[in-house]
Amino acid sequence: MPHDGVDRDLKKGSGELLILSLLEARPRHGYEISKLIESRSNGAVSFRVASLYPLLYRLEARGLIQGRWVEKAGQRRRRYYRLTPAGKKVLAARRAGWEAFVDAIRRITGDEYA
Amino acid sequence: MPDWNEAIRERLRRLNLDGAREAEIVEELAQHLGDRYAEMIAGGAAEDQALRSVREELEGSDLLEGLRNARQAAATEPLGLGATGGAGALGGIGHDLKVALRTIRVSPAFSLTVVLMLALGVAGTTAIFSVFNGLFLRPLPFPNSDRLVDLNEAAPKWNLTQVSVSNPDYSAWTKGNSTFDGMAFFKGDGANLSDSTGLVRRIQTAQVTHELLDVLGLKPALGRNFLPEEDRPGGAKVILLGYDLWRSLFHGDPNVSGRIVKLDEQPYTVIGVLPREAVLPPDAEAWLPLAADPNKGGQYYLDGIGRLKRGVSIDQGKADLMRVHKGMIQSVKAYVNTLTFPTVMPLRNRYLGDFRTVTHILLGAVGVVLLIACVNIAGLMMVRGEARSREIAIRAAVGASRGRIVRQLMTESLVLAGLGGATGVLLGKAFLAGMVSVMPDDVPHWIGFGWDGRFALFAILVTGAAAMLFGLAPALQAAAVDAGSCLQEASRSSMSRSRHRILSGLVICEIALACVLLVCSGLLIQAFRKVLHVDPGFRPDHMMTWRLELPDSKYPKAEQQLAAYSDLIARLKTLPGATAVSAASLIPLAGGHEGNFFIAEGAPPLRPNEQNPVVLTVAALPGYFETMGMTLLKGRWFTEQDQAAHAPQVVIVNETFARRFWPGQNPVGKRVRFDGETPWMQVAGLARDTKHYGLDAEMRPEVFLPFGVHPESGLTLVVRTPMDASGLVAPVRETIRQVDPGLAMFEVRTMTEWLDRSLWPRRAGSWLLGAFAVVAILLAVAGIYGVVSFSVSRRTREIGIRIALGARPGDVMLRVLAGGMVLVAIGLAVGLAVSMAIANVLKSMLFGVSGWDLATYGTVAALVVSVGALANSIPARRAASVDPMRALRFE
Repeated sequence: MPHDGVDRDLKKGSGELLILSLLEARPRHGYEISKLIESRSNGAVSFRVASLYPLLYRLEARGLIQGRWVEKAGQRRRRYYRLTPAGKKVLAARRAGWEAFVDAIRRITGDEYA
Repeated sequence: MPDWNEAIRERLRRLNLDGAREAEIVEELAQHLGDRYAEMIAGGAAEDQALRSVREELEGSDLLEGLRNARQAAATEPLGLGATGGAGALGGIGHDLKVALRTIRVSPAFSLTVVLMLALGVAGTTAIFSVFNGLFLRPLPFPNSDRLVDLNEAAPKWNLTQVSVSNPDYSAWTKGNSTFDGMAFFKGDGANLSDSTGLVRRIQTAQVTHELLDVLGLKPALGRNFLPEEDRPGGAKVILLGYDLWRSLFHGDPNVSGRIVKLDEQPYTVIGVLPREAVLPPDAEAWLPLAADPNKGGQYYLDGIGRLKRGVSIDQGKADLMRVHKGMIQSVKAYVNTLTFPTVMPLRNRYLGDFRTVTHILLGAVGVVLLIACVNIAGLMMVRGEARSREIAIRAAVGASRGRIVRQLMTESLVLAGLGGATGVLLGKAFLAGMVSVMPDDVPHWIGFGWDGRFALFAILVTGAAAMLFGLAPALQAAAVDAGSCLQEASRSSMSRSRHRILSGLVICEIALACVLLVCSGLLIQAFRKVLHVDPGFRPDHMMTWRLELPDSKYPKAEQQLAAYSDLIARLKTLPGATAVSAASLIPLAGGHEGNFFIAEGAPPLRPNEQNPVVLTVAALPGYFETMGMTLLKGRWFTEQDQAAHAPQVVIVNETFARRFWPGQNPVGKRVRFDGETPWMQVAGLARDTKHYGLDAEMRPEVFLPFGVHPESGLTLVVRTPMDASGLVAPVRETIRQVDPGLAMFEVRTMTEWLDRSLWPRRAGSWLLGAFAVVAILLAVAGIYGVVSFSVSRRTREIGIRIALGARPGDVMLRVLAGGMVLVAIGLAVGLAVSMAIANVLKSMLFGVSGWDLATYGTVAALVVSVGALANSIPARRAASVDPMRALRFE
């Protein structure tokens, strides 16, 4: 296993955000998504098949992305995922969420009863 | 190129996906692995290394678990709220209903909790409402019963509110009024009824003026009504049988008219049968004509019922009667009418006024329980709303309008409320049955507590209001949620602030309400215990009592009556187990009263505006005081010699009498007489007060007279025995039969039963309230527990970080506990403050217990704090045991 536990958890939490971000520009298939994550993070973050696809299916089930089989001339058909309008809203919210997360950490280390 | 399909299929097998879906996943994943393999080989990797590396991508349980989760998400989330589609409003409701039912099924524990909590609240409310409805709302079983009024007279100067009506007054009122369609008067009585076989039973009769059936708006079920000439002195002896008596005595024989029945040995001709609705006068089993002489005044003994003309108010009717009544002072020189006033009040108030306070208090209490249940459910719904906020946000995100979401959530609430309401109504019915079974029989038997349209409306309103109450707040809250914010990691890990504030507010309300109920019931129970410890002034244990009436026809002279009673008592004394036997015209706690005015020789003169008190007057046989176990303070009890008609007249007075008329002096040897020119009677003894009107009621001055000198046709006999008192009934009945087979014993009860009956309203009221208070505090505790647990579970990550940063578990536990206890403390403070204000309202029922009784408030505070701490300690301990690593991973 290339990454330790904390990274895994971080990835799990942020994975949705990463995928949604990558699909914002255009529809992509699973392998492309995993390559992009790996290359853009300079290899620091990578998803194995066993964690990437469940995440994709989950996002699809929640209506945030939609997968469709696309056939292109001379290639095998591939399943492309694109962002739905709901996914767009969630993506915007998730981005704002990072701000709130930082704020939350500050609140936790500060002393308060929530 | 290796084939990955089989390896992937192998891993998916346990998910039991459908064929097409599995094929798609296999195809997609195999493609990915193939691409990866090809890329590694192209990048110069050795074949076996590439193979191993690609295989690793499938390893672990991640795939299976991830796919399973994805599938679950798909199953629970797409509830279709986003669809604002073309189906009409009705279709929308049908859809909402379907979704609501599905949601309820998906979380059965939650739904069951909500339904049960609501059922509890609704059960109490509907049961008490049924009683209230039966007593105060349901129309009496007479046509236009709202125009029927009770007629009576008051004598404010004597401090008497109901002195009953005299012959001259009823006659003048009937003739002189212009506001009534009709008036009728009656007096309740009893008679020994013997049938053809000689079997005797005591029945309740009413002597009525012939107009009564018409005034009530009823017709005889069989035969005819009384004729005016039968209702005159010396009129024919005729009887109208009550419906139930006719059924039991004549088995519903339609040819009963003309038959003869014997009442107190006198033959009466049956002229008809009363309709089943003829339930007034209360408890009368047969009607006889009153046949009163309107010119014979002096005695105030009649109850009256009037039917107001259409459109005439009670006040107008009263003013009209006042005009007639006061006119009699001049016209017929009825000077007594300067002291008396006609009173007119709704019929129901007259017979049920006593139950009003208790019923109102209980209705208030169950209302509070229902409110707490609703608040609790609202809290639960909000907590779940929190958990469901993502789902709702997604719905909002995919285009559901706020109105749509509110409607969906309200439908859910309504369905839950419907289930809870239905369960509650059924539960309430059982509860009501239990309550009715322990009710004393002084509730008029024409009062029914069954369900009617009013009840149905009430149940629907209560349930609907409950749904609104616990459904609307969370629904609006959910709809107000910003579609984005709920999906943020951070906002999920610590509960949204405003929502937490509302939940805290709800918990505070619940605790405060429960406190109020606890304090009120505590005070009432305290008062009840104080009443129980009141010394009745006699020993109520091991005593059998019953009443006998000697008919005037057979025992016309006082000596005959005295002889008959003396003979009977002498025989009863020989019964095994009877250690003492005697009799008096009235016994304590049995509800009887006879009042007179007395002049006490040497008493200080009345101050201006001071009223001569009504004195309870009881005729007693020798041995009565000893049998009852009363205490002689001075002088002596009655002897056989005192009973002789020509003996020097003596009386025994109670402490209150002595204190009132001869404060600080020894009453023995002093003299009293009735108000008016009657002979003086010497006080022979001073008795300790007996609580005649109830342990919690004030005692009046009382005078005991020897029965032989002041005979009464009826006496209550008392027998003391070391054995079980009720075991004496059979031998006593046999002894009476030997003395006179025409006598019937009635009101057969042990003295302890009389005592219990006299305490019933207080006992029932305080314990019912106590039961509601316990339910209330349990609901409130469940509320605290729920909210704090939820708060802890939502903050697991925060707590984990705290612990990771070095907080000790003990500190974490204390922090959570303190957070919860702050709510308890605020609720307690508010509750106690409200209780202090409300206790004033209860004052009349507190029997001297202070509305600010420290012990009660202290106990309630201690109870609430300890159950609050208990409820908080469970989530607090859970918080302390949070594992930081797990907490950080927790999602």
